[in-house]
Amino acid sequence: MRLDKIKYFEIHVDSRVKEAILNIITKFKNMFSSEDVVAEEPAQNNVADDITKISSEPVEENNPFPEPEPVVRRVIRVPEVADDIFPPVDGNKVLIKAQPSATSDQCLFMLNRPLFSGHSWWFPDFESAEGSLLAERLFSLEDVESVLVNEATVTITRKDKNMFDWKPLGSEVGTALRELLEERGELISEKIISEMPSQDEIQEGIQKAINEEVNPGVAGHGGLITLEHIKGNTITIKMGGGCQGCSSADLTLKQGVHSSFRKFVPQVGAIFDETDHAAGLNPYF
Amino acid sequence: MPKLNKFRIQIQTGSEGIEEPARFCFNSHVLPLEELSGGTKPGETLEGGYDVNSVAHSMTLVGPEKGTWSLQKIKVDFECENTPPYSVEYPAVELGETTELNIWKDPPLPTFDV
Repeated sequence: MRLDKIKYFEIHVDSRVKEAILNIITKFKNMFSSEDVVAEEPAQNNVADDITKISSEPVEENNPFPEPEPVVRRVIRVPEVADDIFPPVDGNKVLIKAQPSATSDQCLFMLNRPLFSGHSWWFPDFESAEGSLLAERLFSLEDVESVLVNEATVTITRKDKNMFDWKPLGSEVGTALRELLEERGELISEKIISEMPSQDEIQEGIQKAINEEVNPGVAGHGGLITLEHIKGNTITIKMGGGCQGCSSADLTLKQGVHSSFRKFVPQVGAIFDETDHAAGLNPYF
Repeated sequence: MPKLNKFRIQIQTGSEGIEEPARFCFNSHVLPLEELSGGTKPGETLEGGYDVNSVAHSMTLVGPEKGTWSLQKIKVDFECENTPPYSVEYPAVELGETTELNIWKDPPLPTFDV
């Protein structure tokens, strides 16, 4: 079939469109034919050129109604209005609430009176409990791996990670805490209290740990750890960059940040992560 | 992340109210509150909610597009899957054209007395 016999297009399309279509057909035929099929010389302003010109022009210039830039809003976080967890009680009654963690490996015991005012202390094992009646008594219970005392709370990590019911051990912890408070002994060793560094010294050491060990370690994943605030020897950090919202953030905190902080400042007590892992412009879930 | 079935919110407006509809942002999607009663003029209390039926990552109360909205008190009642209903209250806060207020809170961990 000769190309000039194609009259069908002349009826329906104008000449510029016809030229463009003929060129496409010619190129297509040349792909499968040993003989070159010569097409008519394309006009200067063919349709393909027009289309290229249109598509290469900036959209903004042709769009009379450009979409406004989306507003990126700052999320305000205010602490919720919290009710007292304990009802008012007469006398010296000790009230204790137990709250197992979501993973059930730890349990937080909250008391209606302070155990270690202004400070916190982490007892990683029985040996570290020497002289501190509170920790000595708790380590005497079956299945206690570590003890963290912070103000009016005690957090216990259990050895058996497959045990999810905290009620039996929780009941024993409650009894032990009540007995200790009634005995009025030295809950935390005098040595620990007297050798506690100043808040400035702790802050300096933690900042050094962050700068020299923690942040270089997480930088490979685009992470950034910042010291948010410090109260006594209790540290609160924030995880940013790639750490924010990362599913491994808890592991990084417990296995990396904790050990690094305690290496630089052995007297560090509780370490909290105040990061909102669901916030930010690009959180990873 | 829990699945949020639905929530109800009570917003008590302080000295500065808004004319536009109250909106919230759920997992980065801005939506209007539904089943509304009351208002958002100074001193009024707006009550609304939404049947979300989705896993909650984040939820905020979006500030007005124009002006300032002073909030006296906010109370949110959550109904999540497999957990008892719970409520969260927030104190006075001011929202503007470039701010939003976090109103999401994970269900509280269960506690028991020992």
